[in-house]
Amino acid sequence: METILQAILDVAGMSAALVFDGSGRLVCHRGRAIYDRSLCEQLSATLVKAIDTVQLQHEDWDSISAQYADGKLLLRRLGASAGGSHVLAVVGDASLNPSFATVAIRVAANKLRKALEAGALTQPTSPPPSGTPLPPAASPSDSRPALANTGLSWSKSSSSVGLSRIAVADPAAGTFLGRCAKELARHVGPMAKVYVEEAVRRVSPDAAFSISAASRLLDDLSAQIEDGDDRAQFRKAVTKG
Amino acid sequence: MSDLALISSLPEVKTAVLCDLNGALLDSVREADPESVAAVMGYLTATLVQSGDELGLGALRRIALVGERRAWLVAVRGEAVLSAQVEPPSSIAAVEKVLDAAQRG
Repeated sequence: METILQAILDVAGMSAALVFDGSGRLVCHRGRAIYDRSLCEQLSATLVKAIDTVQLQHEDWDSISAQYADGKLLLRRLGASAGGSHVLAVVGDASLNPSFATVAIRVAANKLRKALEAGALTQPTSPPPSGTPLPPAASPSDSRPALANTGLSWSKSSSSVGLSRIAVADPAAGTFLGRCAKELARHVGPMAKVYVEEAVRRVSPDAAFSISAASRLLDDLSAQIEDGDDRAQFRKAVTKG
Repeated sequence: MSDLALISSLPEVKTAVLCDLNGALLDSVREADPESVAAVMGYLTATLVQSGDELGLGALRRIALVGERRAWLVAVRGEAVLSAQVEPPSSIAAVEKVLDAAQRG
């Protein structure tokens, strides 16, 4: 499975590839560092709403492509197999070649369909929504970011992007970090999560990030936004949430 | 000529609907149930705008839904959403070109 998704990422301009089922549960994903499991789970949950909506109007849809100012989001229906319907979603940046992307996605979709028919994806690797019993554990390697391929760097702090995940002291701290990344993404784009990870390492270098360090983190992140209005908007959005 | 009039004049476009981002119908051409199409396309657009925000992809410009027998092209124009049903689906690229040309003026 990973090999199939990784082949998509080998196309220039591809940022992430994921498969989710008809309930919006992430089945597996591969992506650059910022497209971690948390973001892909969030994306799956949002996209399944879009797909449910499309089916009201266009039941026999095969593909959906959304073009944005700074990239593309491409969805391909994998059909009903392995006990449910599945969708392949691919995120690309503005440099993505649409023709190459189409070919890569078609190839991957065919392989994924075969894998689904063979039952390769019957056990999602992501946890279900709260209150739902957890499925049996699957291999953690089925859904993890392709960290080794990132090659990202952040010149503002003159430090390379670390590859370890950020540890949080409690759920509130995790929620706060997610909010920071989401709001920051409105101003700096897909690098937001990387910036947040860098900032956490600066404000909480020796311990798991806790909500008591939230104020320092907010100051650190705000300093990265050059425009004063954007900075104020970011601070307001994060503190309001 | 408005985008709606322009796009609905194309032979490949069977129906066209103009709505706002809340799914409220503004205008339509040859669509039997324009309110429903407006609601669906408005909600779809809003959901994909949210996905774009989550991914930091910037403003949503266009959506293409393609099936075996037909396709839908959805263009976001500020607060307005223009949806066109295209048959055959292979004609969607030609319809996109017309819309792009109109937007460039």
